[in-house]
Amino acid sequence: MAEGTPDVKEARRMLAKGICIAGVGETEQGIISDRGSFELLAEVTKIALDDAGLELNDVDGIVTAFSFVESTLMHSTTLADYMGMKPGYFSSVAVGGATAPLMAVQAAMAIDAGLAETILCVRGDNTRTGISSSGMIAMAREMSHGAYEAPFGLTTIGGYGLLAQRYMYEHDIPQEALAAVVATQSEHAALKWNAMLRDVVTVEEVMESRWIATPFHALDCSLVSDGAAAFIVTTAARAKNMKKKPVYITGIGEGFSHQYISQADSVASVRDGLGRAGRRAMEVAGITAQDLDVAEIYDSFSFTPLIALEGFGVCGPGEAGDWVMEGHAKLGGKLPMNTHGGLIRQAHLGAMHHIVEAVLQLRGEADDSAKTEFNGGNHQVPDAKLAITNGSGGILAATSALVLSSESPSAA
Amino acid sequence: MSEKPAYTKPLPDLRPEDATFWEALKEHRFIIPCDDAGKPFWYPRKYAPGTLNATSWMDATGNGTIYTYSTHFMGPSKAYKGDPPHIVALIDLEEGPRMMSILVKDEEGYPSLDPEDVTIGMKVKILFDDVTDEVTMPRFTPAG
Repeated sequence: MAEGTPDVKEARRMLAKGICIAGVGETEQGIISDRGSFELLAEVTKIALDDAGLELNDVDGIVTAFSFVESTLMHSTTLADYMGMKPGYFSSVAVGGATAPLMAVQAAMAIDAGLAETILCVRGDNTRTGISSSGMIAMAREMSHGAYEAPFGLTTIGGYGLLAQRYMYEHDIPQEALAAVVATQSEHAALKWNAMLRDVVTVEEVMESRWIATPFHALDCSLVSDGAAAFIVTTAARAKNMKKKPVYITGIGEGFSHQYISQADSVASVRDGLGRAGRRAMEVAGITAQDLDVAEIYDSFSFTPLIALEGFGVCGPGEAGDWVMEGHAKLGGKLPMNTHGGLIRQAHLGAMHHIVEAVLQLRGEADDSAKTEFNGGNHQVPDAKLAITNGSGGILAATSALVLSSESPSAA
Repeated sequence: MSEKPAYTKPLPDLRPEDATFWEALKEHRFIIPCDDAGKPFWYPRKYAPGTLNATSWMDATGNGTIYTYSTHFMGPSKAYKGDPPHIVALIDLEEGPRMMSILVKDEEGYPSLDPEDVTIGMKVKILFDDVTDEVTMPRFTPAG
């Protein structure tokens, strides 16, 4: 492992404590009109606790996100109260799509600081069925400047579209490259038990779906869904007595390039800003992109993972479209990507499901064939040991990435 | 010219720090903020980004180049229902900064330019659209 800068060494020092994910949970996803936001969070907490072999009172910290339905400025403690917890550490993270990996980082830091030993990280919402019109407006306003963007009728989709069209122009990327991301992920979602969209779509079908905002057709866009997911962060020492094999957090990294899309300098600067998160996470882990077995990459739109693959160094600038069209992102390819279907085909809960799926992959538990009632299939990457996962908030504004490993950092 | 229907699209959030900008637009003048070294930036703020030093305003030509655009077939609210697609663009102003606007055929604001007529790198110039008695919005249209 290369020696690294002082801050990289400090991150390694923390993670060398064996910071790991000891349990994960996910509910059904999609249209769930019979359950409220906190109800979903409690349901998934129970699933994650059962997975780890823990009781609620074994957990002494809680990290949550936010809700567009149950609006509160104290989300983590409101949920703690709802579930009857008295946590020694609590925090609510709100950086849009970057939130889930940041929750893991915050849990790791809290453990390192001695504030808690076993931390529940949980996010969920009934965004699809429970949101009010003011909640929708609040969600849309997150993405655009109130004076210099929103009055021009910018949508979130169009904001990504602005960057995507420039990317396609600079690198001569065909529309088929975007559609190939969707087609690839649809093959994976067809195997994932709780994916909302289970049908396999072709590149042509994606391109024939209706335009939303160029260069995106309807099928290029992520879903709006109800559901919840959770993961439990602890130390290897604590995980020893738990039910499942721990999955270690061996790399963490963040990167920022702009908040509003009109403030992005260039395609290259956005690629570099979000890419820093993944590159740094890999540097901390002492690995390169070529070492990865599986990639669960934030995919708000079909374009999103392309620029991330390039930023992380999996492909060179402008090469990710060919990479995906050549099948390298498929199960069985060089680096299977979004093996759960991602935000485009499974469900949208920020990057929560990307983390859960990465953990399942590294445990060798991503074969849903036994879930016959859900018509599950096998989306396991054989012998997966190293995964990268990330989330981006805003329009590729703020990114957080994790490297997860089936082996502890000290064993590497 | 026919009577304009009531404007139902989103209006800008107004703040004290950039009232001068919107006042100038009402008079069909286009000004942009610059820092204490005279370097223009976008979007308007009282304190210069990167230094938090004092800022001032400078006249801008309203000429620019399309950096990128996205044709929106769906708007952000009900006010866009039934409209033809609108084209949101990022425009590199002659003075340097990049700003967002929509591309239109003429000073009426709508109708939107035909998406077939838009290319990255195309030269555009500003138009002033008095959307309400209080607010004038900057729009851009092909130059020359």
